[in-house]
Amino acid sequence: MPIVLEGLSHSYKSGPQTTVALQNIDLTINDGELLALIGHTGSGKSTLAQHLNGLLTPTSGRVLLNGQDINEKSAQRRQLRFRIGLVFQYPEHQLFEETVFKDIAFGPKNMGLSAEEVEVRVRDAMARVGLAYEEMKDRSPFELSGGQMRRVALAGVLAMQPSFLILDEPTAGLDPSARDYLLNDIKQLNDEGTTVVLISHAMDDVARLATRVAVLEKGRLVMEGAPEEIFTQQDKLSSMGLDIPESYKLQKRLSDLGLDLPPVSSLNDLADELTKRLLGGDGDDA
Amino acid sequence: MSELPHIRVQDLSYRYDPEATPALLNVNLDIPRGQFVAVLGHNGSGKSTLAKLLNGLFQPTSGSVLVSGMDTNDDDKIWDIRRTAGMVFQNPDNQLVATQVYDDVAFGLENIGVPTEEMPSRIEEALKLTGMSELKDRAPHLLSGGQKQRVAIAGILAMQPEALILDEATAMLDPQGRKEVLQTVLRLNREHGITVVWITHFMEEAAAAERVLVMDHGAVVMDGAPKEIFSQVDKLRSLKLDVPPMTGLAHLMIKKGIKIDPHVLTVDDLVREVKRLCPSCLKD
Repeated sequence: MPIVLEGLSHSYKSGPQTTVALQNIDLTINDGELLALIGHTGSGKSTLAQHLNGLLTPTSGRVLLNGQDINEKSAQRRQLRFRIGLVFQYPEHQLFEETVFKDIAFGPKNMGLSAEEVEVRVRDAMARVGLAYEEMKDRSPFELSGGQMRRVALAGVLAMQPSFLILDEPTAGLDPSARDYLLNDIKQLNDEGTTVVLISHAMDDVARLATRVAVLEKGRLVMEGAPEEIFTQQDKLSSMGLDIPESYKLQKRLSDLGLDLPPVSSLNDLADELTKRLLGGDGDDA
Repeated sequence: MSELPHIRVQDLSYRYDPEATPALLNVNLDIPRGQFVAVLGHNGSGKSTLAKLLNGLFQPTSGSVLVSGMDTNDDDKIWDIRRTAGMVFQNPDNQLVATQVYDDVAFGLENIGVPTEEMPSRIEEALKLTGMSELKDRAPHLLSGGQKQRVAIAGILAMQPEALILDEATAMLDPQGRKEVLQTVLRLNREHGITVVWITHFMEEAAAAERVLVMDHGAVVMDGAPKEIFSQVDKLRSLKLDVPPMTGLAHLMIKKGIKIDPHVLTVDDLVREVKRLCPSCLKD
């Protein structure tokens, strides 16, 4: 059940001026993948994310879920959109209920589930993000730490049990341990079958987690492929003002000096490869 | 005769609430004039509390903070201290007040009663130092996050401070904005001798500092040069902190039996080590 973007364009009107935010995007989000969407600020990433669950409608082109246009007026439109969960930037700014339970229950209630079903959903979602149900359910979301608030916001989306999870800069502003916690959650959800679209500026995280990377520049999709294909094109990424993961920077530098390693994304794999080379060709024969 | 350091923190403790566990407990710290100090620590470790005590925004529950010899416990000195040690906060949208960049920089000067004829030269200089001169007529809401933070810094510079305290000033910025702000502050430190206290979650920013402090449970638990601090990978991880990727890589290789220098911080450091360990692996 992929999401297919077909010739998607979007322009904003502010007064007499029209700004083109997205231009003719063709992109398929495949079942079970973890697609990272990267690009400079203003490249259109967040605008694209908001099209994926129908929050914005295209100026032209279509968004298809399972072959059905999510913007077409039909009885199923609401149901289609429930399958795609969107977590905004700084989602904790959108917490509004007086208790953690009520905030997380808001989505499933809206879906018309019974009170019992809602409670099961809330319990499950809280367990997923590591919030203890009994301890946290009656607390005000506003007296939690930043990392906890972020997890409540994520649980609110997970409680709708979406097949697709779209996350816009989910780790921005978090400390390293809260960040790792959240990224592990996302990785685990993906391992268990949730399709994930991750918008991020943190290239080391993207290199570590993504199965595929799409690059936006000025509203166009300019690159798309496996992390090893994207991050080895360093001149092109730099010209777009994008960072390169340190692991790829190192591989490039070593390659320029005549030491070619097979392209790897994780530091663990890189440590293995380098260790092999250093133990294999140590300076004894020099 | 022994001269006081720029900032001296003595037996400093702070509680938000008499009942609560102390946010800071018995901190002792000297920061020499002109030093660039990065402060790391997970959320709740006390780093923001320390920042707010350094410029008198908070006053100690016990102990003292001396800034240029002035005690933040002394209510008569508090305005002088805040002027000499300016503070930049996390959210770029909460710090700008005027409708034009120039007026925003002027705002602080008006507040401290700088004579009108002296203001233009101070404002122009502050805008120049932060690279914002060309945008002085721009409305702040049309600026990028990095530009907004540079305007906030310009507003402080116009007051001619001797120290800048930045409390996660880059946390909400994109990579380009973070670089702009860090480069601006590094330059102010190196070329103008301004003492900098830089609180951050980004290890690569801390790696650019002269000195790194690590806080945990309201105390300074590590204090040293970036290379000394980051080579203690296991200790940092136990404090819920990260290490720069290349330090992490070197550490993984050490565990596999490679005798690589644990003080590696950057890609350059790692390439140098590969060259040292295996001269025949690389060409010149």
